Amino acid sequence: MKKTIEPQTSELILTEIKTVEELQKRIAVLERKAAREKKARNMAEKQLERYSLEIYQINQSLKSALAFSTKKQCELEYLGKASMGDASELPLNQMIGNMVELTCEYCAADYGFYLVTEDGVPVEGTPDNAWSKELGWQGQSELQNLVNANLPLSQADVLESWFVSALSDDDAQHFGWVLYMNFALSDSKIGWLAFLSKKASFDEGIFPILATARDDLNSGIRRRLTDIRILKRNVQLQDSVNNLESAKRQLIQSEKMASLGQLAAGVAHEINNPVAFVRSNMEVFKGYIHDYKSLLDNIKSELATHNKLDMTFFTALCEKVDLTYIDEDSTALLTSNIEGLDRVRDIVGNLKNFSNAGDAKLTQMSLSKCVDAALRITGNVYKYEHQVDNQLTDLCPVVLGDLGQLQQVFVNLFINAAYAMQGGGKLSIWHTEDDQRVIVHVKDTGSGMDEETISQLFIPFFTTKPVGVGTGLGLSVSYVILEAHNVQVTVDSEIGFGTTFNLSFPVSL
Amino acid sequence: MKGVVFVKFNEFIEELWGEEFWDELLDEAKLPSEGAYTTVVTYDDQELFILIGLVADKQNISLKDVLFTFGKWVFKEFYNIAPAGAHDFKDVFEFLYAVQDFIHVDVKKINPDALVPEFKFLSATDNKLSFHYLSPRKLCFFCEGILHGLAVHMGQEIKVSQPECEHEGGQRCVFEVEKI
Repeated sequence: MKKTIEPQTSELILTEIKTVEELQKRIAVLERKAAREKKARNMAEKQLERYSLEIYQINQSLKSALAFSTKKQCELEYLGKASMGDASELPLNQMIGNMVELTCEYCAADYGFYLVTEDGVPVEGTPDNAWSKELGWQGQSELQNLVNANLPLSQADVLESWFVSALSDDDAQHFGWVLYMNFALSDSKIGWLAFLSKKASFDEGIFPILATARDDLNSGIRRRLTDIRILKRNVQLQDSVNNLESAKRQLIQSEKMASLGQLAAGVAHEINNPVAFVRSNMEVFKGYIHDYKSLLDNIKSELATHNKLDMTFFTALCEKVDLTYIDEDSTALLTSNIEGLDRVRDIVGNLKNFSNAGDAKLTQMSLSKCVDAALRITGNVYKYEHQVDNQLTDLCPVVLGDLGQLQQVFVNLFINAAYAMQGGGKLSIWHTEDDQRVIVHVKDTGSGMDEETISQLFIPFFTTKPVGVGTGLGLSVSYVILEAHNVQVTVDSEIGFGTTFNLSFPVSL
Repeated sequence: MKGVVFVKFNEFIEELWGEEFWDELLDEAKLPSEGAYTTVVTYDDQELFILIGLVADKQNISLKDVLFTFGKWVFKEFYNIAPAGAHDFKDVFEFLYAVQDFIHVDVKKINPDALVPEFKFLSATDNKLSFHYLSPRKLCFFCEGILHGLAVHMGQEIKVSQPECEHEGGQRCVFEVEKI
């Protein structure tokens, strides 16, 4: 049947055709959109794959960087600790023990050993010479034998580096390798460090690090051995210093005795005078005793005959021996004797103080008393032709010093002053004060000294006195004593007018 | 330019003028990428400029208006995919200060090769902020649109002017943003 198309129907068809075209167009747009979406998705997926690959590669790179930095950190930690131990003040054995522990951990060994050989033979030392992380330091004789058998202990020379030896299965007790090095100790001894590991292989990459640690250790050992040598040398030096101190004390004492020798004649004279008059007095006393005995005998005889003693007769007897004079003179003689003996006692006492070696301990002392004592010792030198004007009193400040030694200094100065004033002169002693110091001036009116003599005054054995008169040590010894007392010495001198010694003492507060 | 800009431009065009118009643009543009855009890929800047030029021609509007309108529209899109910290700001100025010190830093973390504009702040008062916009792409009109999108999002009214603009013969692009 033929279908007729009505106008209304044809419009409808046209509309449908338009709709179909639009739909087709729409479909085409969507298809292109879908194609773009698909392409974009593929691109995104490829990009994600690239990102994944990049992330994987970065991850791998980070892992290897982390492993590298961990390894470096271990190396630095090992070297840092080893170096700190070497540079520390630890004793030698402790430092080496420290190195054993650190190296054992660093090279992942199971045991570390420290042994010492002399002429290729192990020295019997501490029994606990094997270290492990679990057990600490212990004796491991069986393992020690294994180590000894695999080390070239008989070799007397120091090895140039670390060495590692693979251990054979038969006697290795499951240990895979032994790492070792040695170093020189004192007295031809050689120290050995050895490390046993159960691992089959050894990482030779750690050799450079071990070499650095070995250099540090050697440096630490050398330093300690040098320290020991220095310590010994110090002891020797201290002995020498002690000997010198002792010699100095002996020298001071010798010089003091030499000064005493120079004074001996005068001192003997000082002692001899009182001794002479005491003896003379005693002779007189002897006569007086005889007179007393005679008087007593006469009294006894009179009493035996008459059984009484007549006063007139007694008076006559007394007058006969001049008893009144004897009484008076005896008292005078006794007083004179006591005074004479006191003089002897004082002189001997001062000499005793002077000759006393002393312990050189500084105590608070009076300079005026010290000068007084020195003047008494040298009194005979100034007795006849010289005047002494000692202005020092107790007002002179107290100083810290050794009385005997300073007395020696003043005696020396006074003897020298007297020698410079042969034929007479005046010795003056006074003090001034200046900013916590007290200055004692000793001035003579003697011959004076030229610049050259002044410059050599304190040089040992320099003397202007004839041979046999001076030792040449007096002023040099005095100078040593004064230096020990922190005393500054200056000398003012003028030829033909005299010399002044100025001794500046720190005041004792 | 990052693919996210192209993807968002696609969505923007389709939302305004439909998929057919977008299809038509691509058909005429004959772009190397053929319009297959995905956010994880970087595309040639020139493709965007060609597409914007075609839109202006076909819709008989200026390039400035296309860029401004796209910028204003795209703000909320970028805001939604921005790092969480970017959502803490409640003020246009605060957000602008944070853009390069915070948001662009995070963008760089995810896309190290992303080329982001730089703001150099010239002056600021409570209500007025002036900054120098630096970008080799010179998309200052797009930036102006974004500023308005930002203000809409923050619920603030602003007036934006460009006293200096490279497209108007200036040596640089300077924005003045004033809260109304």
